[in-house]
Amino acid sequence: MNEPIGVASPGPATASPDAPSNPSVFSGLRALRQAWTHRIFTMREDQFFLFLAVLIGILSGLAVVCFRIAIEWTQIELLGSSLAPSTLRVILAPTLGGLAVALLVIYAFPRSRGSGVNQTKSAVYVSNGYIPFNTVVGKFVVCALAIASGQSLGPEDPSLQMGAGIASVIGRRLRLSQEKVRLIAPVGAAAGLAAAFNAPISAVLFVLEEVIGTWSAGVLGAIVLGAISSVVTMRAFLGPESMFRVPPFRVAKPVDLLAYVVLGIVGGLASLVFLKWLAYARPRIQSLPSWTIYFQPAVAGLLIGLIGIRLPQVMGAGYPIIDQAMHGQFTWKLLLVLAALKILATGFSFLSGTPGGMFAPALFIGAMLGGAVGAIEQHFFPGLPGTVGTFALVGMGTFFAGFLRVPITSVFMVIEVSGNYTAILPVMISSLIAYGISRSYIKVPLFDMLARQDGLVLPSVEERREQLVLTVEDAMRLDGVVLEPNHNVADAMKRAEGKESVLFFVRVRPGEWHFVDHSELQRLASDPGQNHTVADANSKGPLPFVFRDMSLEEALHWAGDWPALPVLSRADLSKLEGVIALDDILQAFRKVPG
Amino acid sequence: MNSTAISGVAGKGLRVYSREAVLFGCVVLLVLFVILTAAINRMYHKKIHVLADNWFARGEASFQAGDIQSALIDYRNALVYSPGNAKFQFHLAQALAAAGRGDEGRTYLLNLLSESPGSGQVNLALARIAARKGATSEAIRYYHAAIYGEWENDPIAMRWQVRRELSEYLLDRGEVQQAVPEIIALADNTPSDDLARRKVVGNLLLRAKLSPRAFDVFRSLADVNYEDHDALLGAAISAFELGRYDLSLEYFDRLPQQEREAPGVVGLYQAAQQIDAISPFVAGLSREAKARRAADALSYARKRLQDCAAQKGQSLVAPPQTPLQKAFADSKELDARGSLQYLEKHPETVEDLTAHVFQMENAAADACGTPQNADRALWLLGRSRGVPVQ
Repeated sequence: MNEPIGVASPGPATASPDAPSNPSVFSGLRALRQAWTHRIFTMREDQFFLFLAVLIGILSGLAVVCFRIAIEWTQIELLGSSLAPSTLRVILAPTLGGLAVALLVIYAFPRSRGSGVNQTKSAVYVSNGYIPFNTVVGKFVVCALAIASGQSLGPEDPSLQMGAGIASVIGRRLRLSQEKVRLIAPVGAAAGLAAAFNAPISAVLFVLEEVIGTWSAGVLGAIVLGAISSVVTMRAFLGPESMFRVPPFRVAKPVDLLAYVVLGIVGGLASLVFLKWLAYARPRIQSLPSWTIYFQPAVAGLLIGLIGIRLPQVMGAGYPIIDQAMHGQFTWKLLLVLAALKILATGFSFLSGTPGGMFAPALFIGAMLGGAVGAIEQHFFPGLPGTVGTFALVGMGTFFAGFLRVPITSVFMVIEVSGNYTAILPVMISSLIAYGISRSYIKVPLFDMLARQDGLVLPSVEERREQLVLTVEDAMRLDGVVLEPNHNVADAMKRAEGKESVLFFVRVRPGEWHFVDHSELQRLASDPGQNHTVADANSKGPLPFVFRDMSLEEALHWAGDWPALPVLSRADLSKLEGVIALDDILQAFRKVPG
Repeated sequence: MNSTAISGVAGKGLRVYSREAVLFGCVVLLVLFVILTAAINRMYHKKIHVLADNWFARGEASFQAGDIQSALIDYRNALVYSPGNAKFQFHLAQALAAAGRGDEGRTYLLNLLSESPGSGQVNLALARIAARKGATSEAIRYYHAAIYGEWENDPIAMRWQVRRELSEYLLDRGEVQQAVPEIIALADNTPSDDLARRKVVGNLLLRAKLSPRAFDVFRSLADVNYEDHDALLGAAISAFELGRYDLSLEYFDRLPQQEREAPGVVGLYQAAQQIDAISPFVAGLSREAKARRAADALSYARKRLQDCAAQKGQSLVAPPQTPLQKAFADSKELDARGSLQYLEKHPETVEDLTAHVFQMENAAADACGTPQNADRALWLLGRSRGVPVQ
């Protein structure tokens, strides 16, 4: 898409014929406007897309700032400003809040129900990037109310969808091409998530890992720009501090990393429990009579309130509690109880259909588990490096990787939310273990499972990522015969004796290859009295050529109607490494199981 | 491009405008959104600052009232609304330490330290937690970091105070050798006109057995203020430690009776008095008095050896093998030189005789423990005159 978009207006030097002859302020402004318009509208579409990414990033950042303030402000009004609210508030706020959420979702913002990640994915793959603005407003209002009233959900997933929604509206209003409208939603999603987490790298990785599923260079630049713009905007208002502060530490001995292996196993098993519970309970809740949807969030709120009487820490997103856990404020027993109850409370909120994200609860559960494992391990091995806070930090990434199945994102997220690079090795080890355990026992990742339960078959990024990629090497044959144009035909025929279905390739010069039929060579060879060379034969070419590491899809593209293609060496285009025909490609595809 | 709106309806129900109009609208929206967000953000931060300050003030009140548990909750609430606030974190850490949860407070302090490694206040708090835990080397490290760290208000006074705390901590733990350089540095950094601090230094010098320095400090203080009882007491004790019993008694006598007879002081005073009463070396004694005191000293020492030998079940008439028996055998040789007449005639032998007396007292003290009354006075006198302990 290199052509300019829109209709190019005259350049700044070209004055409008009907412009007033006397220069004035108005004519100056008009010239400025024309210059601006010219510059913007004569951009190539991909450049314009980057410009839009910045605009979307800033708008998403602003939206997220307002969203976070709305949550915290409402929370102060509903639950009070203390970490330990009164019993009355603890019971009433989530229950009545749940009732209000249900009414808002049913009557005003029906699209705000459900996972923001899946809705964004569905916008990309199903509805050509369409996310109505009503959804943005709905997510803002309903999620702010739900989280602030104590429902155990987080603000990241709604932020992601709000960003995607803003991007979608702008893209459609600007009449971008359908492809760009589809791609602009993930740009907004990354911007929203980046601002919510104050973590641009993790947001970019998450959107690439989970929403788009490809590392397309075309959209990567826009996503990065959007994420950076939103984070810069957010920091301008809410400050640049990392979400959590953990003292730096050093893993002194390789054997110390075993402590994090244990954490990886515990985190993986805990994520399994949570996933299994959601997978089991969600269809059953959804099959309840339709009138119950009016009360499901309220019942969830009541149950959470009952837990909150003794342990109000499980209510809401829980970031201050994570911070306390990182400062070793809880005993290992309490940490374990909080992790277990948070799984329960988040399940209640999520299964009741209350809109909100699972990111913050996943981080909470991971931090509590990590802190508990760390405290127990340090009790038995007092020399272990790092504090309980370090384990809590690593635990966040571990559970996140196991639960959401985004191992790369989880590693970078831990670094970004803590501003602490020293945890990278432990978090890589434990995240991979948790991811491995989760993947071994539950084949379908959370978001894909939710989509399938809702009747949507969205492409599974994890499946795609781990799909077997067939290459030319898997299908090529080694029985091609290389001929030079000056070769004697009779000699060439002798080289093919005793071989079945021989393919003859003529090397005209490096990179230029032709194909000669066996029957053509036989015809020339049978011509008495003539000493024919290969150059006399009717050959087909020049042939397109492939390399052994190319994917079979690419080879299929080049195969066309050619009888076969030469497989050449990348280092020497005069060297034939093999031959591949259409039949070989199809046969290789047929062999792949499933 | 034509900037007027194009009528019509897009596929998904949106009115379609020219790109220029939409972009212009976006920019206007952006500006309005920035203004709105800034206003909301300002209001919100104002509110949470008030909340944070209120919770912190409540925490301070609870902490001052000794209600540490309430203070902890209040400080935590304050931190919710100002999570990066170093002051709140520091106070929470101190409250945690006061509640006996030093390890939890330590995490906050380590965070603060990673942000400002030179903070004297944070290093001091960490030193106190380490000291409470008994981690001496860690405590010393943090105390030193606090001494050489940054202090907002009156850094010189704060550093002096921290070094004093470190010195006291080391003395409390019996680490006198490590305490000595700290106390000497403290003394060197104490202004000569700051009498209160010099008094503190004097006491620390005394505790570290740096008696000559301690005596100098207290004597100069007592010279400045004749009525300064602390200085007089310090001078008396340090003079006693130095073996200057005459000076010690002089300072004791300048104290009011009530202070002289205070527990811990009265013993020293009585010992000084006793030494003054039996020492043959008191200035101004007549030849007879000196001889009598020397002869009495020999009797006391001999009696002490006999009592000690009886207590230990040793016979003093047996061939001398034990230090007690050897000392007693030596004393027999003094019979001729220890008579009153001889000493009166030969006052120059008093010194030699009393040296033997002190050795006898030492031998008895080694075998039977610290003596009492006149024997103690003789033993102390001997030590002050440099009689080697056997």
